[in-house]
Amino acid sequence: MSSVLSTEHRSFIVALARRIVPATAQLDAAGEAKFLQIIEAAIASRPVMVQRQIGLFLSVLRWLPVLRLAGALDKLPPARQDEVLRWFQEAPVPLVRKGFWGLKVLIYMGYYSRPELLAMIRYTPSRHGNQVLHAARAGAGSGSLTQDHHD
Amino acid sequence: MIDKEFDVVIIGSGAGGGTVAKELAALCRDGKRVAVLEWGPRFKESDYTGQELEMANKLYFEGGGFLTRDKSMTLAFGKAYGGSTVVYTGTSLTLPRETFHRWGVPNLDYDDLIRRSRKYLQENNVHLLPEADINDNNRLFFEACKKLGYRVDQFPINVKGCQGAGMCNLGCPNAAKQGTHRVQLPEAERNGVTVISNCRVDRLSEHTCYATVTDPGVGHPSAWAPGDYRIRARVVVLAAGAVNSPALLLRSELPQRLPALGRYFTCHPALILVGQHPQPITNYYGHPKSYYCDEFVDSKKFLLETCMYFPFVTAKNLAGFGPEHSALMAAMDRLQMILVLAIDPARPENRVTIDRQGNPVVDYHLSEDIMDSLYESMKVCTRIFFAAGAERVHAPASHKFLIEAGEQDRLDTLITRDQMKPGKISISSGHLMGGCRMGDDPATSVTDAWGQVHGMPWLYVADSSLFPKAAEINPYVTIMALADRVAERIKERGRELLN
Repeated sequence: MSSVLSTEHRSFIVALARRIVPATAQLDAAGEAKFLQIIEAAIASRPVMVQRQIGLFLSVLRWLPVLRLAGALDKLPPARQDEVLRWFQEAPVPLVRKGFWGLKVLIYMGYYSRPELLAMIRYTPSRHGNQVLHAARAGAGSGSLTQDHHD
Repeated sequence: MIDKEFDVVIIGSGAGGGTVAKELAALCRDGKRVAVLEWGPRFKESDYTGQELEMANKLYFEGGGFLTRDKSMTLAFGKAYGGSTVVYTGTSLTLPRETFHRWGVPNLDYDDLIRRSRKYLQENNVHLLPEADINDNNRLFFEACKKLGYRVDQFPINVKGCQGAGMCNLGCPNAAKQGTHRVQLPEAERNGVTVISNCRVDRLSEHTCYATVTDPGVGHPSAWAPGDYRIRARVVVLAAGAVNSPALLLRSELPQRLPALGRYFTCHPALILVGQHPQPITNYYGHPKSYYCDEFVDSKKFLLETCMYFPFVTAKNLAGFGPEHSALMAAMDRLQMILVLAIDPARPENRVTIDRQGNPVVDYHLSEDIMDSLYESMKVCTRIFFAAGAERVHAPASHKFLIEAGEQDRLDTLITRDQMKPGKISISSGHLMGGCRMGDDPATSVTDAWGQVHGMPWLYVADSSLFPKAAEINPYVTIMALADRVAERIKERGRELLN
């Protein structure tokens, strides 16, 4: 699949993800590639206008801090980055808040929709959930609710 | 362009289209030809993997994240043989009498609507789950509502052989949910109705549908080869849902002006709220939606329902980011969830339009009254979570990411109205209604009370776009009841319409 994001935007999303979901820093190369692939596929499936808006917003988020903090967002110390992101989240202009929300959604999608993550966040659903439920109720499943129930 | 001809063409195969198809299948015995044109694929059983992103992309338009024009809200609506009945939770309520009176549609009778609704409750095996199949997420909600003195009831649901996979919104992997893909469409096909999947209707003109069949590479292949089709029909029934039905009419060359077309769109804007328990609870094992609380429908205009969502949907519905967000996400087995549905008024400015390419665009303003309702609901839900034993609660309009149990006497200062900011608060909707509303005045409605488009006796609508105002409950049973009326009217007028 050809990339819908520039190399610069890909790098920036990876840096941004470190602040949104700190555990993305622990992704290995394959994990990071999968993370980006999910995000790019989601962007590619959107109308061209939305794709452009996402690209524009990535640039705004990255470069706006230069005006007040003399550095691109990903070049600031982590605590400063978080301050800037909190400002975007609470921004008085609705479009800025919504743009930031959209980027967060992409990052959450890239991270939390990977099946290999699910056991780590104690999410192990089963096609036969009632069996687990009944076992838990009977006491037999006590303490094993989040163990392997993949089908 | 390949030409086809039918007596009746039904566009869409969800609660409305599936119902009309089954009801009109009787016409096939008299030699009439009835076809259903469905945009989405007909999935194989092996396609239902339960994987969140994969299934969302397969089953929903825009993966379930169709944005309104101002990007304040996402809309989820299904695209499959069976439409949104493939992805609902199967909760089966009939329209409340008070809501019906608020609708105020002349020539629509409440008792008649309920009689038809009951027919589908029976047909879809609607019943209450036994207590043994109700998980902690649901039970805790019920007990907390009782403790707080709130009215709470159990949802009847339409399952057969439910194994509690908890994946209803991703398409049941156990074929238990009795949507139109399991009940009405197979029956219609057995009786002679043709269903064409992967078939997008691009536009209509009088007695004619222009459609494109594609191969999306998933599910069973369409009965028709990929290509462009011109389909002539004596009667066309539009059941493509509250976004796509108005959009299709707006793209079409219709002889009649319809000033209300696309307008009065409602959608029960929704919040997903989360409380964290000190120990694991059974939440994603078992059916996800067993109870609802309608205590606040009249006074504060919101309905509460139990729910349990998947990791990505959960993550995007939490306000905030960083370590505290990750910590909450890492405890999926301790989360209790509540879905809030705001009862939104029908306003002409909330509407479906189309862009230059003919794609639907939804203009929806989250007005102050809706945000007031959602704000009030957050405080009520926080109380419910704590009454249920949660140790902390995430209220997106709180000044803190998590409210601790010891802080519940300060909810009015911790959760404040000024924090109800679209963009900060994640708002979504899965109950899309209106846009082709029923009525007797062509200035403020699109169809009559039998779903016939004003001035066009060959064109009917049979889906939730008929709703003149919000349903104030989960809408599918009411859609089926209205579609049943539409089918009856077509049969009554068969001699005039189909010969």
